[in-house]
Order: sequence, then C-alpha cells, then structure tokens
Amino acid sequence: MRFHTFVLKNLIRRRVRSTLTVIGMAVAVGGVVALVGVSSGSVRSFVSIYEKQKVSIVVDQKGAKQRLTSSLPEELGEKIAKIPGVKQVNGGLVDYTSLEDLGISALVVQGWIPDSPIMRGLNIEPGGHWITASDKRGVLLGEDLAKSLEKKVGDKLQLFDDGKFTVLGIVKSSIPYESTGMWVALPDLQKFMGRPGQVSGFTIVVDHPEDKAEVERIRSEIAALGPSVKAKTAEESVKGTTEIRFIRATSWITSAIAIIIGAVGVLNTMIMSVSERTREIGILRAIGWRRRRIVQMIMMESVGLSLVGGIIGTVCAVVITPLLGKLPAVAGLINANIADPRIITFGIAMAIVMGLLGAAYPAYRGAQLMPTEALRHE
Amino acid sequence: MSSHIHETPIFRTENVSKLYPDGQVHAVEDVSISIRRGEYVSIMGPSGSGKSSLLNMIGTLDRPTAGEIYFEGQPYSKIRNLDRVRSQKFGFVFQSFYLLPILTSLENVQVPMFEGRLSGTARVRKAKELLDLVGMSHRMNHMPQKLSVGERQRVAIARSLVNDPIVLLADEPTGNLDSVSAEGVFELFAHLHQQQGMTIVLITHDEEFGQRAQRTIHMQDGHVRSDVSSAHRRIRTPMPPFAV
Repeated sequence: MRFHTFVLKNLIRRRVRSTLTVIGMAVAVGGVVALVGVSSGSVRSFVSIYEKQKVSIVVDQKGAKQRLTSSLPEELGEKIAKIPGVKQVNGGLVDYTSLEDLGISALVVQGWIPDSPIMRGLNIEPGGHWITASDKRGVLLGEDLAKSLEKKVGDKLQLFDDGKFTVLGIVKSSIPYESTGMWVALPDLQKFMGRPGQVSGFTIVVDHPEDKAEVERIRSEIAALGPSVKAKTAEESVKGTTEIRFIRATSWITSAIAIIIGAVGVLNTMIMSVSERTREIGILRAIGWRRRRIVQMIMMESVGLSLVGGIIGTVCAVVITPLLGKLPAVAGLINANIADPRIITFGIAMAIVMGLLGAAYPAYRGAQLMPTEALRHE
Repeated sequence: MSSHIHETPIFRTENVSKLYPDGQVHAVEDVSISIRRGEYVSIMGPSGSGKSSLLNMIGTLDRPTAGEIYFEGQPYSKIRNLDRVRSQKFGFVFQSFYLLPILTSLENVQVPMFEGRLSGTARVRKAKELLDLVGMSHRMNHMPQKLSVGERQRVAIARSLVNDPIVLLADEPTGNLDSVSAEGVFELFAHLHQQQGMTIVLITHDEEFGQRAQRTIHMQDGHVRSDVSSAHRRIRTPMPPFAV
C-alpha cells in the first residue's frame, strides 16, 4: 500500500462529508471561474474585435469613461485622416437599445458609416449585404442575435420606438460582441439618438502597426488635436473602459467572497475531520508517524478534495456559463465563452491554494497533539 | 540469537513524576528505575497505580512533568526528534489494538512503514513476513472487524514490529483476550525476546504472565513498591509462536 492509497481510503471512507466538501468547493471555484472568465473574456472579446479590424488606436472623448457618454464631432475624423501614417479612420456611434417585446432589455447597437472599409470588413452570410449609402433604415444582426430574434434577411424589426428597420444581412463571427451585435447606418443612429453630427469615437488603422514608435507618434498627434480628444492604444482603451472596469471589479469582489467561503468550507471540513479522528491521529503518532507525516496526510486529503471540487467546478463553469450567456437578458452584454486555458488553470490552481489554506490550521493542530492526549480522546 | 542482557541501561528514569493538572493527580511520583538492553520487564499494579503513565513516558508518548528519562544514555529533553526515536526504535502494542478499521490486516501492518524508505513492494513483502510470524498470513486480506480479538492483537503485534524496533512496549496486550489467545501473545513475546534479543516492557494485570518476565516492577499510587529480578527465570519459547 502506498501513502496516497491510504489518504484516498480516508476520503472514500467519509463519503458524505467528502461529497459535501467537493460540492462546496465546486460551487466556489465554479463561481469564481465563471466571473473571472466573463471579465477577462470581455476584455479579450473587445481586443479581438480591434485586432480583427487591425485597429491600433482608439479615439474618444476625454473625461468620458463610458463609450455610451463619449461624444466627439464627426468632422474630427477628417483631421485625423490627414495625419501622416494614418491609413483609415472609422467613426462610430455606440448606444444601447432594448427590444422589450422580444424580452431583450439591453442591446448594443452600433452606427457605422455606410460602405466604409470597416463596414465592408464584416463577414456577411450569403444572401445579405452590408449597409450601403442607398439603404434606407437597414440593420445588420449578429448571427446569434438573429437566431434569438428569429429574424432573417428581409425581415422587419421595430427599433427605437418609431423606426421600422429591414434586416439587410446576418454577420457571422466567433466574437460574442459581434455575434450578438447590431449595426445600423451612422446617420440613422444619430437621428434616433438625437445626436446629429456626433460620434462616440474613432478607430484608427495605421500604415505600420508593428512600429510602436510610429503608433505612439500618431497617438500623440491625435491627442493634440483638441482638449477633449483622448487617444489610446486599442488594449489600453479597452482596459480603461468603465464597463470593462466595472465587470472586472464586480467579478473580482464576488470572486474574493467566493474564495473566502470556499476556504472556510474546507477549513471547517478539515477541522471536523481532525477533531473526529483525534484518536486515530494518536494511534498513527504512537505507531511511529512523525508530526510531518500527519501534516502531510491532512494536507493531501484537503488538496485532494479541493482538487476534485475545483475540477468539477471549473468544468461546470466552462460548460454552463456560455449557455447562460445566451439568455436574452445578458446576450451581447457579456462574453460568456470562458473556455480559456488560463482560466481553467486559474480555477484549478485556486482550488489547490484554497485546499492548502483551509488545511493549514487543522494540520498544525493535528500535528501538535501528544499521542497520549489523542489516544485518551473518545 | 539467544537472549542476552547488556549491562548498560537502555532506559533510565530519574525522579520522574507525572502530574495531571486537571485533577491534580500525581499519576507517577518520583520514580527512578533503569531497564537494561535485552531485558524483559513486566510492570504490574492495580488500576491507577501509574504503570501506563510510566510506560507512555518511557515510550515518548507523553512527557514527564518532573524528572528526566534517558534512552541509551541521552536525556529525552536533549533529543531533538523524539518522533524519530519512537518511529525507529520502539514498537507499541495496546490493549485495544488500535487497528485502523478501513484497512485490511496486510494494510494495517504497513502503516508505520510509511516513515521508512522501503518501496511499496518491499513493504508488502515485509508485512506478509510479519503476519506469517504471528500466524495471521491466512487472514491478511480481512478487515479488523472480521477478525477475532486475539487475531486483531496478533495483527497489532505484527504492526509493532515492522520498523525493526529494539524495544517493544506493551500496555496490557492481553487485557481483552481469552486465555488461549493471551498465551499465544506471551509466547510470541518470549520468542522476540529470546530469539531477537528485543527489550520488552510489558504492563499486565495477570500475575502469572507478569511472573514470566525476567524482572517484575510493582507500582502503587504512582510509586515503585517492589522491583524483583529473576534473571534465570525460564522463558518458554515455542517455534513458531503462532503455528496454524
């Protein structure tokens, strides 16, 4: 018999308690993995949109922490386009709308310039087309959104209270913000949102994105165009966005609470285990086990339980979160695709750390027992 | 190998006392004895006389509240790792056997060996040899609850021997056994003492078994009342002790 076999038998022997601990750990780890996954997935998703569009710099209004409240004059785009090294300037307006009749309370809608290079860059399913200057009240739907709305090319959609839009195309994308997104022509969105001549910001494509110094020079020149102009690299811009910061802050706070609850659960289990097995620990000490071996046994049991709970929790989070992400209430607002090796590693590592933390005190207590004290214990 | 008592003491207690503060009871008071290597000593006395407390302190399972205990000339208070001494030098046998209920006989015997450096295969081989020595090889895959009390004690004795201790400390090992099983246990002790030169310190209530040791220490109220040696006492040593 090997030592780990002995440890395993101890865990199997206390089936009910082991199962409950595993469930508690799975819930804690699953919750944290889902929250952290959604948070980092949202950042990743935004960044991947920019990467796909080859955007190096994002321009929005200084002081406006949210995309929603950022407002810049549309003609600023022409000034930016004149800066040497700028290849493409895409102005856009971002807003939220709701489709109460269809059960969607918040939906990201983007207003892009018809026929613009960025518009042409969208991957439209056959049978549809991007919005052109000649289209009146046309809308593009991300494939997942189209599915949940049960809309196809040519169907009508009531938007912004009094506007009836025609679905011109379905956008295929593996990026959640696109697959659940919605696009209309910039002038239409400006009109319905009451923001004529305004955009939320610009995305800038440069001639040499690999040249960091060149990108920095362009960024500085754009920032110097006006006191209300803020220019950041794509990744910095995403991380500084209030929505992203809010998602990250919320997920980390909730995660911290879940981690504490999980660790306390393990601590409770291991203290109970040591307390119940005081006599057994005394026997083991009396027949030759050193303190270190007792510590090792308790730690291994705890890490074993935590690891199983962590794996179950992580797998459940990775499988269930994307399904929850498809619910109309959250579709398009979060990136629920959390199947990222880093997130999975994080979940399992967190379980191990929680197991070690939860077992530290019980292991110390178990190891400090004098064999005779332990043997007298009933 | 035949029994041989060395002149140098393996254990020496110097004015050892044990006070249990909760009840303000002096379980052992001012006891000074020495036990030589290879000696077979029985400690006798009524319940509460302090014999188990003394054995526990000698075996490092408990600490004295006063006095000093020496093992091979070294005071316990100066030995940095008493766990190692207990693990490598002592084997314990208890009245209640203290077998782990989730493990088979074979597995129970292997538990103390986790501290050693033997491979898994070597551990199994050694455990089988010892179960064979105590006549339990036919029950090696049985759980403790499927064994008779006598069989459980034999498994516990096999377990006490796995780390090749030089001292066997037994606290009323036959207290729960019928006379036939008890006889078997004492025959085994005699064998270990005579054939392997093991030092045996035994606590027993049974006068007859107690008298089989080479030396009998009588305790009462925490004190040594008598210490009688009979170095030439004959010890029966059947071979093998637990032939099935």
